[in-house]
Parts: sequence; C-alpha cells; structure tokens
Amino acid sequence: MAKQKAMLIDIKRCIGCLSCETACKQLHGFSPDPEPTLSDTAFTVVETRGDKFVRKVCMHCDDPACASACPVGAIGKSPLGAVVYNADKCIGCRYCMLACPYQVPRYQWTKLAPFVKKCDMCSDRIKAGKSTACAEACPVQATVFGDRDALIAEAWNRIRGDSSYVPRIYGLEELGGGSVLFVSDVPFEKLGFKPAPTGNQPMPTLTASALGDSPKVVIMGGTILSALYWVTQRRREVALAEAEEKATIDKIKGERS
Amino acid sequence: MIARIKSEITLWRVIVAIIFTTGLYATYVRFFEGFRASTNLSDQMPWGLWVGLGTLCGIGLSAAGFGISAAVYLLGMERYRPILRASILISFLGYLTVMVGYLYEIGLPWRFWHPIVMWNHRSVLFDVCICIMTYMTVLTFEFAPAVIEKLPWKVFRETILRYHHKILIAVVLAGVLLSSMHQSYLGGLFLIARGKIHPLWYSQYMHALFYLSAIPAGLALTVMAIYLCMRSLKVRIDFSILSDCGRMIQLLLIVYAFFKLLDLVSNQALGYAFQRTSEAGYFWLEVALFLAVPIFLLSFDSVRSNPERLYWTSAIVVAGFMVDRLNVSINSLQSAMGAHYVPKWTELASSVLVIAAGVIAFRYAVIYLDILPKATVKPSTRWISNGGLPAQT
Repeated sequence: MAKQKAMLIDIKRCIGCLSCETACKQLHGFSPDPEPTLSDTAFTVVETRGDKFVRKVCMHCDDPACASACPVGAIGKSPLGAVVYNADKCIGCRYCMLACPYQVPRYQWTKLAPFVKKCDMCSDRIKAGKSTACAEACPVQATVFGDRDALIAEAWNRIRGDSSYVPRIYGLEELGGGSVLFVSDVPFEKLGFKPAPTGNQPMPTLTASALGDSPKVVIMGGTILSALYWVTQRRREVALAEAEEKATIDKIKGERS
Repeated sequence: MIARIKSEITLWRVIVAIIFTTGLYATYVRFFEGFRASTNLSDQMPWGLWVGLGTLCGIGLSAAGFGISAAVYLLGMERYRPILRASILISFLGYLTVMVGYLYEIGLPWRFWHPIVMWNHRSVLFDVCICIMTYMTVLTFEFAPAVIEKLPWKVFRETILRYHHKILIAVVLAGVLLSSMHQSYLGGLFLIARGKIHPLWYSQYMHALFYLSAIPAGLALTVMAIYLCMRSLKVRIDFSILSDCGRMIQLLLIVYAFFKLLDLVSNQALGYAFQRTSEAGYFWLEVALFLAVPIFLLSFDSVRSNPERLYWTSAIVVAGFMVDRLNVSINSLQSAMGAHYVPKWTELASSVLVIAAGVIAFRYAVIYLDILPKATVKPSTRWISNGGLPAQT
C-alpha cells in the first residue's frame, strides 16, 4: 500500500504572501483575485489573526464526517490520504456541508448543475508523485508536503528545536486525526481553531451508535408488535367462538321451549 | 353571465390561484435560474426552508398513518377504524409532497435515483432515503384498496383485494417499523452537526426525541383534516373518536415533554433557556405552542368535545411542531455557522405550492373515494355521537 501523504503547515513560518492561494487558483483555472473565505473558487485562503496568518484548507480527516454523511458515497479517503469527491455520484444534497466540523465544503450556488467544491490535496498531482501546488509554491516552507510519518517527525523536531512553538500538532489526533497538520507559536485557540466537537474521536461515531441500534430496535419492535397482533387476533377469535357458542345454546334453548 | 362568473370567484379560489401562480413562478426560477436566484441558501446555511418545512415537517406531520394503522391492525383498537383510511391518505400525500420537495432540494434533481443504487450504509441520510422510498411503497399498498374498489372490473378487483388482504398485516408491520426508523433518523441527521447545533436542541438522543414528537403532531394534523372534511364535505363521523385522539395527543405530548426536559437536564443545557438570546426565545415559543398551551387546553373536556375548539388546539400543536423542526434545522444552526438566513419568498412560495397541491388532492380523494363515512345529513346533526360505536355509512 502506498504511504499516506500529508501537509504540514507552520504558522510561525508563514509570512502571508498568499502564494499558496494563487498557486491553487492557477492550478484550477480560477480568477487570481484573493477571496476572504473559502468558496467554490477558493479551496484555500490565508486568514489574518492578529499578526499571524492561518491557512484554511480541508483537513483531510482520516475518518471524515463528510464521507460518512454522504448518502451516495461520493466522498472518500484515498489511499494516499486525500479526501476526494466523486462528482459523478453527487446528488447535491449538501449534507456534507452540514456535517463537516471545519465548514470546508463549498457549493456552486450560481450554477444550474451545481457541485460541491473543496481541496482534494491535488489528488492527480500526488498520484503522479508530485507535491501539492500550494506546498510547491510556498517560498518559506511554511507548507510542506510529504509522507505523513515523516512530517509528524519533522513537526516534533521543529517543536523540540524551538521553545517558542506550542508543544502540540493540531490535526494529529483531533477528530481522529487527518492529513493536514499545523504547528504554531501561538496557542491554537487564539488563532480561531475551534475546540473539536468530539475530542479525539472521529465525528462518524456520533451517528454510528444511533444507526447501530436500529437493527436491535427493529428486531425487538417487530417481535413485540407481532406478539401484540397475535394477542389481539386470539382475543378476537375467542370472542367470536364464545359468541357462536352462546348463539347455539340460545337456539337450542329456544327450540326446547 | 358576469354575475355567474362573479359568484364563482370565492375567497379561497382567489387564494388558490395566488398560491399556484406564485408557486409555479418560483418553481420556474428554481429549475431554470438555480439556487442563487431562488433561495437565500449559502455555504453557511446549506439547508433551509425546503429541508426544515418540506422534509422535516412534511414527514413528521404524516406520522398518523403508521400510528393509526398500528393501533387498528396490530393492537386491535377497532374504534379508530373509521379514521384509518383518512390517516393513511394524509401520510401518502404527505410523503408524496416530500418526494416532490426532494427534487427542489437537491442540486442535481435528475440524479434523484442515485441513493437506490449507490449505497453508503454509514450515512443517516441514505437510510432516510431508503426508508422513505420503501415506506412510500407500503403506503401505496395500504391505500391502494380505496382506488381498486372503484374499478369497474369485478373479478380483477376481487382477486387483487383478496391477495391484498392476505399480506396486509405483514405490510402494516413493516410500515410501522420503517416509519419508526425514518421518523427518528430525521433527527439522527443532525447528530453529526455537534458543535454547530445550539445546546437547547443538540442531544445524543435527538433521533428519539424526533420520533416521540412526530406522533402527536401527525395525529393533530389528522384531527384538523377530518374536522375540515366534516365541515365542508358532508362527512359524517363519530366525533368522540376525534375527542379520544385529542386525549391521545395530550398524553403523547406529556411523554415528549417529560423526555425533552430529562434530556435538557442531563445535558446541563437548561441554563441556556434563561439566557437573553434569540435561541432562548425560539425555544420558549416552541415550548409554549407545542407543549404548554395544548397540554393545558386538552385537559378540559369542553375543549376535547367541542369540534371547533379541538380543531384550533390541534392547529396550535401543528404550529408548535413546525416551530420545533424549523428551530432544529435553521435557528439552532445560525450562530455557530455564522449565517443570517431568512428564506427567500420563492422558497416559501414553492413549498406552499407543493403543500397546497397535497391538500387539494386530499379533498378530491375524500370526495370521489370512500375515505371517510359520507352522509347527506343536515348541518345541525353533523356531530353525531352514538355511544362510541364507529359511524356506519
């Protein structure tokens, strides 16, 4: 099996030059004007938080909420680690947008045949052994691309080598982990990273328990209802038989008298 | 001639005309100009009125069909047989409106069949789709006799109905289970949006709460529909059945209120109800309309046994239920998603069009088919109570 790839984003190193944004837009053929938030023509943006720059991009979760939510299985995790979208399956229900804890998927609201749009970690490029466009464009290696294991080691190296880093890799364990990792010299909470809704548990566990209960409920409910039906049927039969019996007795009595 | 035309123009016909014109225009905008032109949906609010009103309220308010059929066929509560067909018809048409609404909701409506062949068993929405489609088949089956018995070919009719009768109970049982599943899965849809849904509504038992709240709401809608049939369509039915439905609604609402309170307390979310937020306001509106007022009113015999009062109380239940579903699907999400969503008029107009079409279909079904016992009695003797026995035609 191919080794899982990942991106490491270093907030301390980022200088906010927007090269990653531009490279991404260029690759996809979008207009190069920067946008304030993610959109169907901006799969990554650089947000300014105080004097820091934070890249917003799909986190490529290992067990993605969007993939578990999609009713037709149009979203999946590729062996290389990218969370990819299959436009041929999508029906446009937009449940992935509701499910994603990072609010990443965007929709083509203006189109008559709209699709979901999000970062696919340059799926075609990485399959060909290349790096992602954004990592390639970064002039200061604030975004680097590589094998996930190697990048985790690299991240710990950076943290150990420089005491100004927060001793934490965001995206390593949050919501079950993913293929986009952040390191920073400012606490993540101060940079607008929201607390993970399920801690280190993947989001799909939320629905798994409810769905997992349903076979039990169906079997139990079915049994109970069948039993109740049997009881009511039996009661009806008994009542009918008793009435018939009574009618016969009455008839005999009537004949005698 | 002009006088005749004038006499044909009644208030309700004008309203229907307005609904159809605006609704059809909204439909045109939706399918030929797209979402941006026809909705206020955005990346921050991907689901709006169509899901909240069309799907969640539509399915929830159609819950009476499985409730009453379970009561009559499985539990032997023969007393409710006179309103059985009406409740199945309401469910059938309710689900039909949801299926039409589904075509408005999804971005690529010509791919509506994808969930049938492309499965993702981990998705709650997939389960909802499959359950609703299967249950639609069940409802068609349950409702079919009302149409088949009107067919002119005697042998064909009787053969079909005989086989129909043989498997009816099994189908009803399947229908009850399927309904229970997807009524709760509709709540289960929102389980994955933890962190986005306001704590007054988010709970790991949302699916159970959706199930519990749907049944009284569905019953309330059935009471409303039958009342309107009695008032305008010469339908004669033993009113004490509806009174008993009122009592049932009250009981079910109390059960729901109990579990909702228990849930809020165990999630330590009750405090949010006393904050000065818009969510708290919506929450109390929901509590008042769906729980407090109806439970209070339905405890009076003078309300339950008076058709008009029972009708209006049921209307409050239905309104409260709609507030609840819109709260979960829209209001509870706004602040966390950073959205300010107010539905566009086209969203409302198209929803109302689909609902109105359902209501009109219901009216003509009641007129032309044997849905409810009909009689040509004088208006003053319409409310007949013969000691609880089902009304005979």
